[in-house]
Amino acid sequence: MNARSDAMSIMIGDQRFEVRGKMSTYAKTFRIGFALLVLILAPSIAFAATPTVTAVLSDSQPAVGQIVQLEIKVNGANSANVPETISIDGLEIHQTGTSRQFEMHNFDVSSSVTYNYTILPLKAGHFKIPPQSVRIGNESLRTPELVLDVAQGSGSSGGSAGSAQTGQNPVASKLAFAELVVAKKDAYVGEMIPAEIRLGFDPRAHSRLQEGPELSGQGFTTQKLQQPRENLETIGGRSYQVYTFKTAIAPARLGKFEIGPVTAKAVVVLPRRPSTSPRTHPRSPFDLFNLDDPFSDPFFSDPFGSIGERTELPIRSEPAVLNVKPLPSNAPPNFSGAIGNFTMAVDAKPKTVQVGDPITVTSTISGRGNFDRMNGPGLEDEGGWHKYPPSSKFTQDDDVGISGEKTFEMVIAPNEKKTAVPPLVFSYFDPVKENYVTLRSDAVPIHVEGGAAPAPAVAAAPTTSATPIGTVGVTPAPTAKPQDILYQMSDLGRVRSFTPVYQRPVFWMAQLAPLILLLGFVGWKIRQAKIDNRDAQRAAALQQESTELLRKLRRSELSPQEYFSNASRVVRVKTALAKKINPNAVDAETAAKAFDLGESERAQLRTLFERSDELRFSGSGNGTRSVSHDEREEVLRLLESLRA
Amino acid sequence: MKIRIALSCAIIWLVSAPFLMGQPAAQFAKANQEYAAGDFKAAIADYEELVRSGQDTPNLFYNLGNAYFRQNNFGRAILNYERALALDPYHPEAQANVRIARDEARALELVPTRADRLFEFADENQFAVTATVAFWIGLFSIAVFIFGRRRSRTAIALSILSLSIFVVAVLAVYQLSHGKNGQGLAIVTGENVEARLATADNANRVLTLPAGSEIKIVSQRGDWIYVGLPNNLRGWMPANSAEQVRM
Repeated sequence: MNARSDAMSIMIGDQRFEVRGKMSTYAKTFRIGFALLVLILAPSIAFAATPTVTAVLSDSQPAVGQIVQLEIKVNGANSANVPETISIDGLEIHQTGTSRQFEMHNFDVSSSVTYNYTILPLKAGHFKIPPQSVRIGNESLRTPELVLDVAQGSGSSGGSAGSAQTGQNPVASKLAFAELVVAKKDAYVGEMIPAEIRLGFDPRAHSRLQEGPELSGQGFTTQKLQQPRENLETIGGRSYQVYTFKTAIAPARLGKFEIGPVTAKAVVVLPRRPSTSPRTHPRSPFDLFNLDDPFSDPFFSDPFGSIGERTELPIRSEPAVLNVKPLPSNAPPNFSGAIGNFTMAVDAKPKTVQVGDPITVTSTISGRGNFDRMNGPGLEDEGGWHKYPPSSKFTQDDDVGISGEKTFEMVIAPNEKKTAVPPLVFSYFDPVKENYVTLRSDAVPIHVEGGAAPAPAVAAAPTTSATPIGTVGVTPAPTAKPQDILYQMSDLGRVRSFTPVYQRPVFWMAQLAPLILLLGFVGWKIRQAKIDNRDAQRAAALQQESTELLRKLRRSELSPQEYFSNASRVVRVKTALAKKINPNAVDAETAAKAFDLGESERAQLRTLFERSDELRFSGSGNGTRSVSHDEREEVLRLLESLRA
Repeated sequence: MKIRIALSCAIIWLVSAPFLMGQPAAQFAKANQEYAAGDFKAAIADYEELVRSGQDTPNLFYNLGNAYFRQNNFGRAILNYERALALDPYHPEAQANVRIARDEARALELVPTRADRLFEFADENQFAVTATVAFWIGLFSIAVFIFGRRRSRTAIALSILSLSIFVVAVLAVYQLSHGKNGQGLAIVTGENVEARLATADNANRVLTLPAGSEIKIVSQRGDWIYVGLPNNLRGWMPANSAEQVRM
């Protein structure tokens, strides 16, 4: 009857390792091994903290027959002696399991052990669970006294403290349950309230969540549901696979209204059994309180001996009731809707600037509350500052964004000489203290160069007429009368194009002109070079011919015809070289003129050409007669004297 | 027959040209009168019609900016002053009024880079023309150096100098076209527009931009533009919340 389950969980960083189930020899061995492992890995486990004991009820106002969970939690110890049973008339209380938890944060290890009891109210009334003695080593501690108000009737959760559990058909309620846990019953409009949606399934039903969970209702907003945390819990003497979805609710309207219900749909596997046949099989050991258990079936003892059927199971919780109050009317002027509990840190950079230069003021609001509706802190005194709208960044510490820090970056520029960034002011409503709180930072000292110093006398003496503070070369203060813009233009002016000049086709067309000019210049130069080259080749050939002929004239015994022909040819070639003309067009007069010869030389030249012609055309030179030495020398002297 | 048609067309053009050319000026004068009479809405309508008809003159955008300023629409006022300055960077009245409008709107300005400041003494077109002239002088100098009868030191010095100027001018053109006042420059026309980390209305906010703030459009995806912001960060904004200065 009194089946017990034991559980142990270890949390390292954000990871939680949990082992639950009935304690077998294997489990005990495993537990011992695991404990040893922890001891080896974490020699700095600090159990030195003073043990404390707490006891909580899952519901303090149940109805008759509705099972309530009692948890006795011992912090700072890994074992304790607790009573097996608690005897109270009208309540049936059994211990159902133990769970141990080790948490390691940066090698700082803490442990706790939780003893779970189930309470079955047998009758209505006001019950007190007296303090229970818990023995930890040599120390004895006592739990606080707990009160249980059991109402008449069944299935109704009544006004439980923000918790609404299922009220569905009996079988479904045993297979699965949905529960909406809202942290508060009374809240202020806009306040962020943590909430949990718990869906529990009998692990033997191999449940699979098909839809949801969905939280219905009007007049509030919810944060997006996070991935659920999954653990095995014993509720009412039965084990449930519980999926816990965390969220936060922010009421948007005043008054009392319902939140929820939570609805979900799951597929479960149920044993198929004839509905008419009487129940003859033995009761399940899970059926702690002799309740009807659909798993008290041979199918679950021997899954292969029978057939299960898949069934779609709708799950629905009871709605939770929330009473939403308005915020008090005496809100500070800079209150912008932040509700919670916050702290503020402020810094400004750079510390040394010129008048008009931007300074980034970073303010960090940390704590718990409705960060999504929060505006940044404002300057206590904005006079002499040019202020720009801030940007913000939120870093959440939890799953639902209630806890974290929001950093606002505001750029301000001094319009005049200043000695400090004025204090930043941030107001919020504290729902615990139920009043407004205004945070005020210290002024951040800075050094502003340039511009005129502020006139402190004006600020200090409000009765003095407010004369404008002189500023030199700076943007006028926002409070100053704005300048007026200049006049209208009466002339429409010339149409222009936004297209840059290099993207217009006309620009590239215009480049054709210098391109053609350049190509023309290059072509002309190349042609000229070619011409020069041809002339040079011709001159070189003529020069070579002249040299060759002169050599022949000097050494060879030539016939008179050949001699004078070659000599006249040398004259023609030399004249052609000097005057850049065709050698064949050269006669004696041309040559004489080209070399500017005297009369005697001119006569010699004429004689040379006449003799050459005479010998060539008369044929008299074909005899054996040769040119005399003197005659040859005279011709050679004449030829060598031909220089331009 | 063809000659007759051509002649008719020429006569029609000669007769109608002064009228057609005078029409924008008349509409401009009418809009100015409406502005002077305090009917800024009508003046804006007439100025906008002139803009749509392609009369992109600095004075038109300047006057349109003034009309928007009078209607306290500082975003559009700054946009039109910037357009006037994009057409004529030395428009003194637009320079003065855009400063006043920015102060009124608390508009944020893009931070000019060192390169922007280095080349701010001239505009993109001036650098482009300088680059072109330097390029051709450089090429002609090289041609003279190569094809001249003598290897001229003056030609080679001139070509080196010209091509150096060409390179610097091209860099300046690139910098100015991609810089603060480049082709991506846009002005926020909506009030307190949020620049976000992603293309979603509930994405984290990067910066809140007052109307008239300068941004630089980097790219566009659907109804969102990815922009460079005055705080040197980048973010996504609805495309309809800003307009590009260069039309």
